[in-house]
Order: sequence, then structure tokens, then C-alpha cells
Amino acid sequence: MRLIGLALLALAAGLYLGFGSDPLGAVLFRLDPGLLNLVQAVVQRYLLPMLWDNVLLPVLEAPVWVVPLVLGAALTIFGWNRARG
Amino acid sequence: MDERAFIRLKERPPAMHILKSRPWHLPESCVTPESLVFGRRKAMALGAGMLAATPALAQQAGLPPAMRNTRYAPGRAITAEREVTTYNNFYEFGSHKTISAAAQRMPQRPWTVKVEGMVEAPREYDIDDLLRRMPLEERVYRLRCVEAWAMVVPWTGFPLSALLAEVKPLSSARYVVFQTATLPSVMPGLRQSWYPWPYTEGCTIAEAGNELSFMVVGAYGKLLPPQNGGPLRFHQPWKYGFKAGKSLVTIRLTDQRPVSFWEKIQSQEYGFWANVNPAVPHPRWSQAQERMLGTGETVPTLLFNGYGDFVADLYTGLQRERLWA
Repeated sequence: MRLIGLALLALAAGLYLGFGSDPLGAVLFRLDPGLLNLVQAVVQRYLLPMLWDNVLLPVLEAPVWVVPLVLGAALTIFGWNRARG
Repeated sequence: MDERAFIRLKERPPAMHILKSRPWHLPESCVTPESLVFGRRKAMALGAGMLAATPALAQQAGLPPAMRNTRYAPGRAITAEREVTTYNNFYEFGSHKTISAAAQRMPQRPWTVKVEGMVEAPREYDIDDLLRRMPLEERVYRLRCVEAWAMVVPWTGFPLSALLAEVKPLSSARYVVFQTATLPSVMPGLRQSWYPWPYTEGCTIAEAGNELSFMVVGAYGKLLPPQNGGPLRFHQPWKYGFKAGKSLVTIRLTDQRPVSFWEKIQSQEYGFWANVNPAVPHPRWSQAQERMLGTGETVPTLLFNGYGDFVADLYTGLQRERLWA
């Protein structure tokens, strides 16, 4: 678990070096322009419109490295504590 | 002797005092004071002055009357107003169909529309001024969405050619570009900063000059609601619905073919021409049939959405273009 956490932290660092603080959505759009439109349509039309506006969109608006940083830090700390105790 | 006393006297039965009110009888309390009667001209002049000073308020109450132009009979029943105003595509408000409540937050007045670019007389119109200047009429048009649903709507508006006649396009102008308002405070979709806002659409100057090209300011005899693209949208009924820019703020004439919003995002699915053709499927679904809003009935889709007699000659010699998607 700690290894996965460290890998995600490394990924966050790599994304920061590669894309700076560009939003995750902008990076995904560059990689595949139609992807987010398709995901949004599925979420808003078949699940719940608010799920896109209030949950997924804030994540997509955040800098591209935030998600791997938060997940990586959480897994690293959790794994560290588990190994010690 | 007052009038009532006189009536009582004249109609008094020999043995009983019965007071019967006549249908035409009005009590004294209903009499208009003399000062108001003789001051009414002043009051009327004041009211007329107020109306003239605030035409926008008068317009907001409803559309000016517009006669239906029967030249464009749709051949299908009109879709119920409720269906048309509650099932909407307006990407600035979301990807789902129930954006009508959110769209109410978009202010409709004041609203200005710029007509600019390659024209002799660029202008900026206040929407109410535009309503007064243009020859309004009602046209019942079919609308075919690229998503394979359709509706029939009595739009009120004016031919785009009437607007172009005012600004006088230069001979070098080849395309007309339409841009939708960008109002981040009320349009949650604009938070997706990676998309190429503002929503942009366009057509050739020949398509713009076609008699079917219609600037829409109303529907069902009322001002166009925001969820349907109020206060001003475009409609070319032989093209898929996404070609119709909504809530327009800029109309630009240019010699450069515009790359529209959806074309930038998914050019394989949404092209510049986007004429309705049942024989050319969307990459992910058939376009052979369409589902009518309201009834749910499935009917065959027609080439040019059934308007071929009006528009087919626009595309002579353009067979190499991707005319159908």
C-alpha cells in the first residue's frame, strides 16, 4: 500500500512538471477532446445531474496533480502507520 | 327631487312600498368626481408618455402580434408547448435535458446584439429595438435534433435576410458566425474552462440568405424563454438543431469559415454543414428515424428535414463537402 502511495506521489510530481497547474479537465480534454463530454452526458442524463456539477466538476477543475497527491499521501500515511503498528 | 325618489314615486304600487333596483341603476357612490372627468385628458397624456418612455416594459409583457406565414406548413402536428420548454439542449447549463429551471437565472433584459465584421454598417441592437424594427411573423417549423428526436414549434421571428439588409454585407463576406452569451454567474457549464467557449456556430452567406433562415424571438406567441435560447436564437430547419445558436449576442460576417463549438470538440460527429440526411448515420446511432417529443411516435426522417424544395440548390457543386454531419 505504501508503495502504491509513493508511486502516486511520484505521479503527482511528474504531472506537476509536465502540466504545471493546468486543471485535470483541461489535460484530459487535450488527450481526448470527446471523453469528458461523453462522461458528462452519461452522468447527467442517466445518473444524477448534480453529481457532475457538485462532485466531478470540482475534481476536474483542480490542478491535474491534486488527485494523485491526495490519494498518494493518504495511502502512504495509512501504509506507514499500518507497518509500524 | 333626486332620481331614485322620483322612480319610487312613479312606480309605487297602490298599497305596498317595494323598492326595486333597475338593471341600469347606479348608486351615487359610483359617480366619477367632476375633477377627474375633466382631468382625464391630462391623465391619458401622462399614461401615453409613460408607455413611450418605457417601451421595454411594454415589450416584456409579450410579443407584438405576428401573423402566421402559411408558406412553411410543417405537415405534422405542433408539439405541446410544455414539451418544448422542458426538454432542452443548452450545454452552458448542462448536458441533461432538464435545464429549464437553471436557465431562468439568465437575465433576458437588457440584452444587446452586435452585428459586425464584413458589413457596411455594423450595429449594436437593443433586443426590444430589434423587435420593433424587424418584420415579425410566425412560422411553424420542424426541428430535428442530431440525437434523433424532433419537435414542431410555432416560432415567432424574422428572416435573417431582413437583418442582413440593414447592415449591408460586403461582397467579400462569405460566412455568418453566431455567438452565444457567456454568463459565468448563471451558466455552470462555463466552469469547464477547457471547452472553446463561447458557443459558436455558423453558415455560409448563401445559407444565411435563404428564405428559411430565421431569427427567433418567440414561441407559442410568447417571448422566447431562456431555455429555448431567448431572447434571440437562430434556426435553419433543414439542419440538425445544434447548428442553431441560442441566446445570441454577436453575429459576425467574415470571409473565414468558422470552426464551430462542437466541431472543435468532436469533429467526426459534428461538422460544419450538418444538413439532415436519414441515409447518413451518426457515428454512434442511425439517423433514419426520429422520435417526436410529446407523442413518442417514431417517424421516418426526411432529407433536409423535408425542406429540400427550399434548400437543395444551395449545395449544387458541393458534393465533395461533408454536407451531412
